Amino acid sequence: MHDFIFGAYPYLAGTIFLIGSWARFDREQYTWKADSSQLLDNKNMRLYSNLFHIGILGIFFGHFFGLLTPHSWFLAFGISDLTHQYIAIYLGFIFGVACLAGAVLLAWRRLNSERVHAVSRGRDTFVIIWLAVTAAIGLSTIPVSSGHASAGDAQQMIALSEYVKSVATLSVDPRLLDNVDAIYKVHMFFGMTVVLIFPFTRLVHVWSIPFSYLTRAYQIVRAKRITT
Amino acid sequence: MSHFVDRLRFFTKETETFSKGHGIVTTEDRQWEDTYRNRWRHDKVVRSTHGVNCTGGCSWKIFVKNGLVAYEMQQTDYPRTRPDMPDHEPRGCQRGASFSWYLYSPHRIKYPLMRGRLMELYRAERAKGKDPVEAWEAIQSDPKKRKKYTAVRGLGGFVRSTWEEVNEIIAAANVYTVKKWGPDRIYGFSPIPAMSMISYAAGSRYLSLIGGACGSFYDWYCDLPPSSPQVWGEQTDVPEAADWYNSKYLIVCGANLPMTRTPDAHFAIEARYNGTKVVSMAPDYAEYVKFADLWMPVRQGTDSAAFLAMGHVALKEFHVDKQDPYFTEYARKYTDLPMQVILRKDGDRYVTDRFLRASDFTENLGEKNNPEWKTIVFDSKSGAFVCPNGSVGFRWGEEGKWNLLPKNSADQSEIEAELSCIDNRDDVLDVAFPHFTAGEGDVLMRKIPVRKIKIRNKNTFVASVFDLQVAQYGIDRGLGDNLATSYSDGSVPYTPAWAEKITGVKAADLERTGREFAENASKTRGKSMVILGAAINHWYHNDMHYRGIMNLLHMCGCVGQSGGGWAHYVGQEKLRPQAGWAPVAFALDWHRPPRHMNSTSYWYFHTDQWRYEKVVADEVLASTAKGRYKGYQLADYNVVSQRLGWLPSAPHFNKNPLDVVAEAEAAGAKDEAAVAKHMVKQLKSGDLAFACEDIDAPESFPRNLFVWRANLLGCSAKGHEYFLKHLVGAQNGVMQEGTEGAACQEIKWREEAPVGKLDLMVDINFRLNSTGAYSDIILPTATWYEKADINTTDMHPFIHPLAPAVDPAWESKSDWQIFKAIAKKFSELAETHLGVRKDVVALPMQHDSPQALAQPLGEVKDWKKGDCEPVPGKTLPLLKVVERDYPNTYKKFCALGPLMITAGNGVKGLAWNTEEEYEELKKLNGVIKEEGITKGMPQLEEDIAVCDTVMEMAPETNGEVAHKSWKALGVKTGIDHNHLCDPRQHEKIRYRDIQAQPRKIITAPTWSGIESEEVSYNAGWTNIHEHIPFRTLTGRAQFYQDHEWMLDFGEGFCVYRPPVDMKAHQIVKEKMKNKPHLVLNWITPHSKWGIHSTYQDNLRMLTLFRGGPYFWVAEDDAKSIGLKDNDWVEAVNGNGATVARVIVSQRVPRGMAMMYHAQEKNVNVPGSVTTGKRGGILNSVTRTVVKPTHMIGGYAQLSYSFNYMGTVGCQRDEYVIVHKIEDRDVDWLERPLTPAREAQLNPPGIEN
Repeated sequence: MHDFIFGAYPYLAGTIFLIGSWARFDREQYTWKADSSQLLDNKNMRLYSNLFHIGILGIFFGHFFGLLTPHSWFLAFGISDLTHQYIAIYLGFIFGVACLAGAVLLAWRRLNSERVHAVSRGRDTFVIIWLAVTAAIGLSTIPVSSGHASAGDAQQMIALSEYVKSVATLSVDPRLLDNVDAIYKVHMFFGMTVVLIFPFTRLVHVWSIPFSYLTRAYQIVRAKRITT
Repeated sequence: MSHFVDRLRFFTKETETFSKGHGIVTTEDRQWEDTYRNRWRHDKVVRSTHGVNCTGGCSWKIFVKNGLVAYEMQQTDYPRTRPDMPDHEPRGCQRGASFSWYLYSPHRIKYPLMRGRLMELYRAERAKGKDPVEAWEAIQSDPKKRKKYTAVRGLGGFVRSTWEEVNEIIAAANVYTVKKWGPDRIYGFSPIPAMSMISYAAGSRYLSLIGGACGSFYDWYCDLPPSSPQVWGEQTDVPEAADWYNSKYLIVCGANLPMTRTPDAHFAIEARYNGTKVVSMAPDYAEYVKFADLWMPVRQGTDSAAFLAMGHVALKEFHVDKQDPYFTEYARKYTDLPMQVILRKDGDRYVTDRFLRASDFTENLGEKNNPEWKTIVFDSKSGAFVCPNGSVGFRWGEEGKWNLLPKNSADQSEIEAELSCIDNRDDVLDVAFPHFTAGEGDVLMRKIPVRKIKIRNKNTFVASVFDLQVAQYGIDRGLGDNLATSYSDGSVPYTPAWAEKITGVKAADLERTGREFAENASKTRGKSMVILGAAINHWYHNDMHYRGIMNLLHMCGCVGQSGGGWAHYVGQEKLRPQAGWAPVAFALDWHRPPRHMNSTSYWYFHTDQWRYEKVVADEVLASTAKGRYKGYQLADYNVVSQRLGWLPSAPHFNKNPLDVVAEAEAAGAKDEAAVAKHMVKQLKSGDLAFACEDIDAPESFPRNLFVWRANLLGCSAKGHEYFLKHLVGAQNGVMQEGTEGAACQEIKWREEAPVGKLDLMVDINFRLNSTGAYSDIILPTATWYEKADINTTDMHPFIHPLAPAVDPAWESKSDWQIFKAIAKKFSELAETHLGVRKDVVALPMQHDSPQALAQPLGEVKDWKKGDCEPVPGKTLPLLKVVERDYPNTYKKFCALGPLMITAGNGVKGLAWNTEEEYEELKKLNGVIKEEGITKGMPQLEEDIAVCDTVMEMAPETNGEVAHKSWKALGVKTGIDHNHLCDPRQHEKIRYRDIQAQPRKIITAPTWSGIESEEVSYNAGWTNIHEHIPFRTLTGRAQFYQDHEWMLDFGEGFCVYRPPVDMKAHQIVKEKMKNKPHLVLNWITPHSKWGIHSTYQDNLRMLTLFRGGPYFWVAEDDAKSIGLKDNDWVEAVNGNGATVARVIVSQRVPRGMAMMYHAQEKNVNVPGSVTTGKRGGILNSVTRTVVKPTHMIGGYAQLSYSFNYMGTVGCQRDEYVIVHKIEDRDVDWLERPLTPAREAQLNPPGIEN
């Protein structure tokens, strides 16, 4: 079971994530959207939505760089493992709390705002609650991590990082997690599941962040379509 | 290709750049655009329109995709107008554009529906082995069973049935009713045929075949202005909208052009670019006000005062101070102003009496034919009283002199009718004119220049209408009665200063507008126009508002001139191919006459609104009245009217008319005359009585009601709650006991008021509206995009179709096919239960027929009071025997009958042979092949064949018929009119033609204007330019009405009459009066978001406005009781209550609540806190009230014709109490039906 969840599940989730996104983009263009309900109820959305989005983006980039940057690079920059861990704990706490608060408020709004509730589908409610739970578990790793950090022990962090890299390099080794506390594993399961459900939810809008707007020309003219 | 792969465009990113790199050209995938393109892609486009009761008559493109109607768009292929005229297009508004929503909406009636309890009862009886009629009888003869389903009307409970079952039950109910009570207990209500005339004809043909009564609608809606029959002898004929553009001076009064005549409003707006001045009159800042150069904010219900003041100015400056040559000539030839009126001594004063007649002179001035019907002028050429051509007496019994040529009938010499005898007077008399303004006395004393003549050796004084009219307007002529010295003399009625007190409009504005209006007409020969609307017509004294306007128009020579005259607001009342349609619609090809009824009187009686009548007739009488019926109630007058053969009746008598004939025949009567004689004897003895004399007796009840193309209960039912209580027998909000009716002298008073008179109510509709909700059976009909039909309006001269873009959805079918199927079942059941029977129709004296000369000199002779003998067609309705071959009803329905050959066709008193058209129809549509009475006759089985039959027989769509009809008129007038139509003699317009493009109709004598390339259609054009008389007593447009009842009620001349006090708001309970409330005049204008009740429940329209019922209140009024916008409010009075949201606006003046017309109770209507019943509709707080002057008959233009004459259902004089309802008190009544609730039909505390 352990091997399945940490050996096969990441790839299962990743595959569904990629193929699912592709399939949805190709087949369901009209569902490719953020499904914003702000038009129906804009009350407090500046707070709720920004808390959530800033939080989750922070977490995303934190995990991304924290776990995928090669260990040696950190050391090369002069960041020791413990510093790394403290950065992770503090930034993780700040963004995690923001994300959790935002997610809880959004989930509350989704259930209690009459108009938003009326247009909510099961997956909309599910995904925001799932994200909230994932963030909550993530936050609950902080005391454990702090314990490690105060004891000067960065081994678990390094193990997690190594594990993630093993997944990323297609040489997965669940054994790397043997000495990791269970709470991290639960968090990882939840996180991987987010990736799994991603193509089936409104999260697909993440793919469409309009980075090109940063560099695009003022005017874009589409060439006349040659009918075939 | 894959969207994703297309996005991977690294190597083909850009093709080129431009503007120094600020722009790029990409070859990005554009497939996504196809979705939007497909949204507007379609399989076919079909021309249709909306058969809704509006003025538009707009042709639409219906787009069909995948077998479903996707959307609609305005057609833009109308024939062009002539140069210098704007085109008619685009025609269509936001409401029409939303129609396709209905087709597949939750409102759609998909299957035949039946009230579940009725179905159970009926099936149980049938299961016992009874045949359908016996089963129906079993239910009806058991009051408990009957009440079981009637008492839950309006409370839901419909279940799906089948066509076979509903047809059987409807047919059984009809057969039973015909047998037990009489065919005149079956009633059909459907409005304004022109909007979908074949659908109308379907029901009316079925009813006319079985002897049911078809109810009028135009008068019931109060859109009929009775002033039009009174003044012109014309139901209403108005200019097409394009003629607004030709006007040089427009007064728009109570007609919200952009809002309610959306497709036509552009003509009025464009006229402004053409230099036309536009003056608007509206109490509120209505949408049309913003297009005007001047806004005169007139107090609601006082418009006549404003127009009388403008008339005062025009009359003084253009007729008295100087004589405008054009106006004077017009007045002499085309108005009754030179006609002489006898003055009657009334104590020490005189009052105006009847017109002087040829019969008043020795040897009748040489007139042998109808001398009592020929009015007199003074000829200044010969210096003698002469009888000019053209009065109604020339119309019947002789030929060639019924025209408006200024000729002396005796020798056809030229005459010049004298307007005033002021310079040649014999005397000056004090004449009293009735006056009704509070605090100003009951009469106006005026000095009148008169001539003295001897009538039967008695000295008699006569005066011209002109001299009387000038005096009545308060214009001083130096005769010593010290009338208005200036316009600012507010003490003399009808001066601008006086009118300012009444109307709130500045005297200076009235003065200037009156002067400019006349001056413009003088310079342009009549191109001054008044566009007038429901806002001034829906009042009890609407005829005064209208006659005030007509007076101004006639003084200024505007009527009948292009760009001039009146533009009354109705539209699709103009059933252009009327002459071809009527035989089909009323089965005149099989039986004549049909059975018609004026609906206002019908509902007034049968919904027992007369029992609650608080308006006392004596209070409406003038002090100068002869008043032979003093003490009579308004309802009593209607009884008198029916028995004198003025207004129709339904049911006619207290017996089944089939039995009446059978009895007469048993007593030996062999023919119609003998049957009539027998009946007269019985009427005299009292063995037979008019049903209205005991209207609440079970034998007087209406038993079966068909409502199709209509929304009787949710829309036009003024006194909605009374309908619910007495007619339908449902939960109702009537807040009073109704004891006033006990004062009636002609009607038997029954202490206990009947509840639930109808045995069966059938609604035929495509949407579930309030009428359907209260019916027992709802039949699913084809929508306007699913059937073939014809549509016309008077706003434009084109005829165009409704066409099936898609087949009728679910189990619906066209009205023609629905009634055909009912007729079939009816025939089957009639075989055993009815057989061939003889029916007697009591027909009132008809307008445009010789019976319009039934009752000479305007004197009321009442046989029941011993004034005369009852003579059918003279002092009693005509009694016409009609044979009803009931088992052949279906066959007759499906074939054009033989009377079209033997009796011919006609319209408005003209007749012509129609044999050629009949033969042509056989070839065009095919004949009936089945054995039986109809074998070989042209078929009427398919909708399109019916359309073509109508168009083949109508002069407007068949040039040959036009030719014949104008020839027939030419014989009467002695003038050849055929140049008007003969260039199009060989033209025939058929259904397929109009499906290709709307077609302009051919000029026909049915109408008073012409279709031409030189002038736009304008009412009265042929009266002025072709010298065809108005169809009035004098043959002229009449300022003066001389019937005894017109004089009794003080309306010989137009006077200002304030709104009547309906008194219904005075009886609300103390409890309510103690909390903050407003007392407001209840104003119900036509809406922006619906056409009557249609569209107002359409999601698209609901989304555009407040999404439920609302009414408007002035900001200051609202503030005074703490109302905020969108609060829940209740309007309540003795008639009931209605709950809505309030719109608080500065747009509305203080003192009125405006609830836009026909917001129904089917969307977002909570319960009323006062009545405890569902919150109501706009008419829950109204009650209709009838006016005796509208009941006159047998007297020239004041004679009955369907939708032409009759009481009108006014509702704007009403006041309500408005108070706030807290959100917590809003009760949606969403509870199950308990026996206790079912038993409580009335509001708490109401016993009867």
